[in-house]
Amino acid sequence: MAEKKKAVIVGGGTSKFGVRQAHLLDMVQEAMKACSDDIPALKPADIDGLIVATTMAGRHSSALNTAPLVVHRLGLKPTSICIRLDTLCAGSNSAIIVAKGLVESGIAEVILVTGAEKVYMPQRWETNYTQLAVNDHDWDSAMGLGVPPPFFAMIAKMHMKRYGTTKEQMAHVSVVNYNYGTDSPMAHFCGRTLTIEEALDARIIADPFGLYDCCPLSDGASAIIIASEERAREMTDRPLVYLRGTGQHATHSMSAGWPGETLAEWPHLKTAADTAYKNARLTPKDIDVAQTHDCFTISEIIELEELGFCKKGEGGEFVASGAIKLGGSIPTNTDGGLLMYGHPFGASGARQAIEICKQLQGRALHQVKDARFGLTHNLSGTCSQHTVVVYGQEPVE
Amino acid sequence: MADVEKVEIVGTPALDGTYISEMDMWPFECQEFNRIYPFYEHLRDGKFTTTKCKKCGHIAFPPGVICPRCWSEELEWVELPQRARVVTFTETQAGAPIGFPPPIIMAWLSFGEGSPLKQLLSRIVNCKEGELKEGDEVKFVVFDVPSHPIEVKKETKICDRVYYAFEPVK
Repeated sequence: MAEKKKAVIVGGGTSKFGVRQAHLLDMVQEAMKACSDDIPALKPADIDGLIVATTMAGRHSSALNTAPLVVHRLGLKPTSICIRLDTLCAGSNSAIIVAKGLVESGIAEVILVTGAEKVYMPQRWETNYTQLAVNDHDWDSAMGLGVPPPFFAMIAKMHMKRYGTTKEQMAHVSVVNYNYGTDSPMAHFCGRTLTIEEALDARIIADPFGLYDCCPLSDGASAIIIASEERAREMTDRPLVYLRGTGQHATHSMSAGWPGETLAEWPHLKTAADTAYKNARLTPKDIDVAQTHDCFTISEIIELEELGFCKKGEGGEFVASGAIKLGGSIPTNTDGGLLMYGHPFGASGARQAIEICKQLQGRALHQVKDARFGLTHNLSGTCSQHTVVVYGQEPVE
Repeated sequence: MADVEKVEIVGTPALDGTYISEMDMWPFECQEFNRIYPFYEHLRDGKFTTTKCKKCGHIAFPPGVICPRCWSEELEWVELPQRARVVTFTETQAGAPIGFPPPIIMAWLSFGEGSPLKQLLSRIVNCKEGELKEGDEVKFVVFDVPSHPIEVKKETKICDRVYYAFEPVK
């Protein structure tokens, strides 16, 4: 049997995230341009595989079979794989797992992973309406569960009750992430900053969440290149960033299948993380920088616990202690995260991968000193699935 | 056939009087489109039911046509408890999907020891904002929701529908 190849992330870029005056395919082209600027040697003919991650394209852009549209607009002629993939908010992170396997097995050499969403419609109500179809339509959605705030608000209330987490501790997450993202030109809220007082005084979205506890819905696209080590060396002189380990764990689609003792425990994330750490031959202590799915402030707090960066129940104190800032024990969402950079569902996983790539190459805007190992995490649905990818400056030997 | 020259047309001509299932908030409940239609028929009788596996005894929710534990097709309908306790809840003003008038009161329910259905997210109806408390007892309630047309040969049949939620025990 041939020796397994090693998969790396070469680089990438995003479109501007936000409420965009642009079509889905405009934003995919913008992301490809940004990716091309990041990897100047990359040419369309180098790309032999394409994975497009999107959830809303079928409905909001009338583009059910999305991959051929991307092929045409980007001038690609893929020969190994050409698919659209949908795991909602984890879309492009799932695509990275697929790309890793295809590259390591030798089926593909250079894969473009792109994630894109056109969320905002000519009439705003339609976005919330579409959300009924991204949850379990016939069950939880028929109860009126569309956009996620009510569900995550209950998670927050439960975490506050069981572990004493406070609104002020939650505000620390949004303040840290806003300060990280303020100078990211492509971020949804680029240029904005936030104080604890502003966060605590914001209008209520769903008790206990104020406006800044919730990430925005964003239009946007991201694009990254996953390649074999050999092909990557032909395209870039930068240090290589290896895909060391991955894990994806799904347990249910609607509330009756919730796996935790209460809403405040996410054992399915712990399983996904344990799988990724095991494949990466690493432990939480080895990770220098993380990009976690901060769809809400409480999400980042619980994720830091379940990913093993602090003890269960101590996430609130942990974020308030400064542990997620530069110089802290685990700088997290160093590009602003979902809360600040924005959240075009299928595009977010690749956006996180770009930041970890830059961190491990020593060229991030908010550089974590000597970062060797990084982690990305997405949840999707009503917290029904978790996806974890671990990166490193060296491959697993 | 819509006349594309007619400038007074606003929106999609095809939507005039037409049911688009892609825009439907509710399940297809009729036998023609659903093998778990007995669930909805039981709702009409005021019963909250699901499927139990005759082979391994597992009670699944939502109901299905195979057992998700052992994949047997030998299932039977059983009743679920109709009373639950509110573990936590939220009252949403912003972002309720059109058709669900705000505030939507959403609760995480616990069915207690011994229930095959441990927990469920449910809308709480017949309840004013500010009335609900953690620990409150709620009960199952069934109500009418909008019907939809289906084509049966050359005829159009109207399918009446119901759905369920929970309401406070007064």
